[in-house]
Amino acid sequence: MIDRILYLLSEGIRGLLRTKITAIATIITIGITSSFVMISAQFGENLSQFVDIVRNQYELQIFFKENVDETKALNIISNLNELEEINSSRLITKDEAAKIFENEFGENIFDILNYNPLPYGSVVEISTDKNNSLDVNLLSKKILNIDGVDEVRFQGKLISVIERYYRFFFIFLTITSSLILFATIILISNTIRLTIYARKDLIKVLKLAGATNNFIKVPFLLEGIFEGILGSIIASLISFSTFELVNYFLSNFSNYTLDWSFQLNLILFFTIIFFSWIGSIRAVKKFL
Amino acid sequence: MIHFKKVLFEFNNGSGIKDTSFNIESGEYVCIIGPTGAGKTTLLKLIYMDIFPQKGEVIVDKYNSKKIKNKEIANLRRNVGMVFQNPQLLNDRSVFENISIPLHIQGLGLKYIKNQVNEVLSKLGIEDKKNHFPNQCSGGEQQIISLARELVKNPIVILADEPTGNLDPASSLKVLRMLEEINNEGTAVLMATHNFTLVEDRGYQFMQIKEGEVTL
Repeated sequence: MIDRILYLLSEGIRGLLRTKITAIATIITIGITSSFVMISAQFGENLSQFVDIVRNQYELQIFFKENVDETKALNIISNLNELEEINSSRLITKDEAAKIFENEFGENIFDILNYNPLPYGSVVEISTDKNNSLDVNLLSKKILNIDGVDEVRFQGKLISVIERYYRFFFIFLTITSSLILFATIILISNTIRLTIYARKDLIKVLKLAGATNNFIKVPFLLEGIFEGILGSIIASLISFSTFELVNYFLSNFSNYTLDWSFQLNLILFFTIIFFSWIGSIRAVKKFL
Repeated sequence: MIHFKKVLFEFNNGSGIKDTSFNIESGEYVCIIGPTGAGKTTLLKLIYMDIFPQKGEVIVDKYNSKKIKNKEIANLRRNVGMVFQNPQLLNDRSVFENISIPLHIQGLGLKYIKNQVNEVLSKLGIEDKKNHFPNQCSGGEQQIISLARELVKNPIVILADEPTGNLDPASSLKVLRMLEEINNEGTAVLMATHNFTLVEDRGYQFMQIKEGEVTL
């Protein structure tokens, strides 16, 4: 059994070497196209971290209606805390509001009006769960629906723009990655098909010598997987080098560096190999 | 060992094998004689179950054409040697590698394969060609290499379809002698040829085939 496995493995490698030009062209093409997936995914991961940082700094300022007293204000706070998009909310009492007013405008509201007209309010931190992209406008509407809430203020445009681009990027990445992985299947499938045609003589000899269908198919499947592995290695090297290069340039004018995640790369590495295997199976099923 | 029972196999143009019955036992040497297109190759293909009878049955060893499964066809072919007019060698592999293919298929160990192939190479007198590639060998040598590739399996029968068709008289004679030697050691040989003069005086059993009809 081991001898047979070793023979099939060696046949797979030899097959690759026998069709050098086609195999090299396929490996390089897989390497280049897959590197786009890897770089985009790594960039997406960095963008996701960046968005998390921005989200951590999201604060919504909520003003309650004038007739809201402390008991009702605490009720509103507990209602706010029930919203999954909200990480925490802090009550701003009328006195605290007056202090904030004094800090911002340099004058005490009592000195001007002899009473404190400022309402109760709240400062809300938004949840930073990176799996959920956040629609701040929608959250704002939800908060306004809570009884007693008068106004919600946030850096609406900036936050909305960041979230919109973030969502757009992930849709774009998903579509292009799917197309590239699909192209990998077609590419491997066509390469294996050409290899099968090129080795009609071998297939005939093997059949006449008593080889089972699986014995004939396995080297072709292995060839596709080897092409996927080598293509993935090239893609990983391109992705890693690109991030090293970008970090080198970034280091000239910023302390910020991009992370290159080994785990993410490993997942993509095996994903590409998996799709190469699917491509080989497709060719072998169709043409053998 | 090989039994044809009322076998019919017809191609669309009407050629093929018609209502044929015969038996070939272990160790026999049978020569199938007939003109080109008479059905010799069809008959051999029926034996190694590349095609199946439309009527009747072919039994080779324990395999019956009516009951055989795909996987069993592979097993049958591990016990049947096939030599063709074109040696069908792989030009990108050495002579040794060509001959060792059937043993790799059987999943045998490298040491055993090495010994077995060397033994066959020496038996057929082509040890010196071991590391050559087929296109570095003459036509006669290539046919002997193809014979070696079948012999290494220790087959119960060798089916030879016009094995001398592309060879000069001296090489043809050499191949015939080798087939005879193989037969002397107990392996049945079934050889198809249209060249009666080549085989007429060699004391073989003859089976004549003409327009698909077989006469012994």
